[in-house]
Amino acid sequence: MSRANGSRAGRVGAYVLLVLAVVAALFPLFWTFSTSIKNRIASFSIPPRFVNFTPTLKNYRKLFATDSFWHVVWNTVFITVTSTVISVAVGTLAAYALARHRRFPGRRPFEATLVLVRALPGVVLIVPIYQLATRLGVYDNQWALILIYATINLPFAVWLMTGFIDQIPAEVEESARTDGASGLKLFAFVVFPLASPGIVATSIFVALLSWNEFLIPVLLAGEASKTLPVYISGFISARTLDWGPMAAASALAIIPIAVFTALIQRRLVTGLSSGAVKE
Amino acid sequence: MDAGLSVAARRSGRRLRRRVALLTLPSWAMLAALFAVPIVVGVYLSTRSDKIGAFVPGRGVGLDNYRRDVFDSSFVGALATTLIITFIGLAIQLPVGIGLAMLLHRNLRGTRLFRTALLLPMLLTPVAVGLMWRFMLDADLGVINWLLDEVGLSRIGWLGEKWAARVAVALVDSWQSIPFVMLMTLAALAALPEAPLEAARVDGATSWRVFRHVTLPMLRPVLYVTLMIRVVDSLKLFDIIFILTRGAPGKATETVGLLTYNTGFNFLETGRAAALGVATAIVTLPIYVMWLRAQRRTA
Repeated sequence: MSRANGSRAGRVGAYVLLVLAVVAALFPLFWTFSTSIKNRIASFSIPPRFVNFTPTLKNYRKLFATDSFWHVVWNTVFITVTSTVISVAVGTLAAYALARHRRFPGRRPFEATLVLVRALPGVVLIVPIYQLATRLGVYDNQWALILIYATINLPFAVWLMTGFIDQIPAEVEESARTDGASGLKLFAFVVFPLASPGIVATSIFVALLSWNEFLIPVLLAGEASKTLPVYISGFISARTLDWGPMAAASALAIIPIAVFTALIQRRLVTGLSSGAVKE
Repeated sequence: MDAGLSVAARRSGRRLRRRVALLTLPSWAMLAALFAVPIVVGVYLSTRSDKIGAFVPGRGVGLDNYRRDVFDSSFVGALATTLIITFIGLAIQLPVGIGLAMLLHRNLRGTRLFRTALLLPMLLTPVAVGLMWRFMLDADLGVINWLLDEVGLSRIGWLGEKWAARVAVALVDSWQSIPFVMLMTLAALAALPEAPLEAARVDGATSWRVFRHVTLPMLRPVLYVTLMIRVVDSLKLFDIIFILTRGAPGKATETVGLLTYNTGFNFLETGRAAALGVATAIVTLPIYVMWLRAQRRTA
């Protein structure tokens, strides 16, 4: 693998392998975007048309012209943002306790529960959640989705924030405390500003998870609260596969992800491996 | 005097700890209402015969649902399918992920760009990923079969044949999770001590032997955690299979997740699906315990 470390041949070999891997990683993305700007005939043509086609915005126009699409986009944004705010707010409080105090009542069961939430497959919950939602009259209700998302993403929020708060030196708080700040004031004026870069990174990561969530909304979202992943999955109806608009919808789901990950590139690595190793 | 002070200090310490515990209260409330309650309700439903849309309300049937679905072939079959797909996936993800990490660890020029590009797949919406691969894997019009044709290999009935479909599902899942293995390995490589590697090199060991006998053993703890998480996530895998095959052809790719979903929401058998959910949870428990132990060890 790293044979002939440093030698010219070794370096060339490494580059060749890396480029091949990047092609494999990015081709499906390229294919999604190119399919989204092809007409029906070009999208089905064999041999495939990689660049030799006339681009068209027809698929996007078709998508933008339907009211339901905008409704779905709004739902997805609203549910993602709201559930992220709840998850990160609640998670940050708990993270503060975990980062600053070795021992407090319920610490171990709390940590164990978070791992359980992360490890348990969603299908364990789908039947009771569906039954509870219909009985309580919150089937197809945005708030039901928001609260469920916030809960299943809570472990990530807590783990990430614990890591970030750990990095804030405790002495800063000590000195603020001796200056008379305490409780809420300490939190609002000392901890919160220092932790805000971490809060932003955590929020983006949690938002990503909410944006991509499928199992819960496919179960609980009807027409009123449908989200983008469920909408996209709706394109596989019966036998007619309309690849163009489907690729356009997929591309639109993916664009915000690309933008946001570019924003937190460096902290992203921490997010992606959270829960695997304790900070 | 001294003793009195320490009693007071201890008392105030205890009071502080109690106040600290309050910070986890909102989390506990959410976990209780939206995680614990559904689990309890799920266990209850699993002992009843409820069906969605039935005119007659369900009744308690004890362990019948378990007897019928879990211990007869359907759950065991789905579990076997899950494990097969998991195993094929791991056989792809671990070597490729570790290999890519080794390449990036050489820190050649442009490494950061490569790393970002290689990370991207794990961030994308699985439903969109599944759809795109479904298009690319299409037997007649897909770009993959065209490529196989071009290089002189025979076309494969990707999503239509038993083993091809299993490999296809594992392949798409791997495409999304190789970055995770890569990241974990990369982090571990960065933390490795240089001395043993240097010593081996000075002794004239080839790169492969250094990797095999020095690097790999040192990576073992991280790889153990990575493996565990990948197994957990394979058991959770739902959206990609749902989009790619929905369990087809036949039951070739029907994992425990798909089986539970289909039982509950295609056949509307609430009680039986709840039992399958509980069975899935029980299967996950040993790995959960391993995860907890690993976490405590690193704490």
